[in-house]
Amino acid sequence: MLIAGAIISLVGAIFLFLGALGVLRMPDLYNRMQAGTKATTLGSILFMLGLGLGYYNQICICKIILLLLFVIFTNPISSHALARAGHFFGIRLIKRSVLDALHDAEKESEL
Amino acid sequence: MIKRFFSLFFVILLIFVFMPLVKDIKPLSELGVTSQKYAKDGAKELGAANLVTSVVVTYRGLDTLGEVTVLFITTAGIGFLLRKRSTGKNKKRKASEILKSGTSFLLPLIVLFGVYIFTHGHLTPGGGFQGGVVIASAIVLLLLSDINLHTDHNILNWLESLSGGFYIILGLLGLLLAGGFLDNRFLPLGKFGEIFSAGAIPIIYSLIGLKVGAELVGIISKLGREE
Repeated sequence: MLIAGAIISLVGAIFLFLGALGVLRMPDLYNRMQAGTKATTLGSILFMLGLGLGYYNQICICKIILLLLFVIFTNPISSHALARAGHFFGIRLIKRSVLDALHDAEKESEL
Repeated sequence: MIKRFFSLFFVILLIFVFMPLVKDIKPLSELGVTSQKYAKDGAKELGAANLVTSVVVTYRGLDTLGEVTVLFITTAGIGFLLRKRSTGKNKKRKASEILKSGTSFLLPLIVLFGVYIFTHGHLTPGGGFQGGVVIASAIVLLLLSDINLHTDHNILNWLESLSGGFYIILGLLGLLLAGGFLDNRFLPLGKFGEIFSAGAIPIIYSLIGLKVGAELVGIISKLGREE
């Protein structure tokens, strides 16, 4: 059990590392935010799940499930709000990107 | 280039200044006289399972009162100094649907968690300050999701003043009925480790939590307000 938990935690840690790498390497705000959100959400889920499995007892696993639910609900919402604020503040997408759905939706609602 | 050189120079200077402190430090092998008394008798005397709380709220309760006062003065100072002039042109945009429904789901949970933290301050890590901050964060979420919401400053001020006043009254009750100012033992200590135990500590910490929460909400709403 301990080893399974350790492996899951390791995978989670790798995702967290990739998230950090993405924040460094991605070209613009939105791409960075995406890397920083998706990878860290999955990374923290796996990391905490691994901890809960490794040191298995019932109270611990209940607390970890609560924590996970909290992360699942809050992390996407917060980065959604940040990215939206960035969009309306006027931060441009990188030129290579092909789709700006929020911009298109605004255009449509104006017409 | 010259800037880089200067920063490097200052870093090296700082290393030289602080190196003796790091080198000569000796880890303490035993507690000091006061700490020893706290550690040995704290749980037995005050009945709080969380020793840190018994130190913060009772043994050094006067300092905590000072901290709360500092926070109060900070709030007053921020309200006095930071006033945004209304420019009239920045119209606020409505929050997105995701944020709104997320808020309506998360808000009660966050408030509940904050209340849990400050009512269990004598049992688990955390307490009035932390719980108050968590509650204030819930209010920030509410302010972000509903742009037309305005906090009522009268209610906030009343809440803050009342909880501060009751805090002092509890301290004076300790002085009159038990051993000293902010002594928690004028209420029954109860069974060790249960929620209704440790005398007045849960009540005092709840009051601190309300006060800190009200103050922080006041600061935040003042920062966002225009006149």
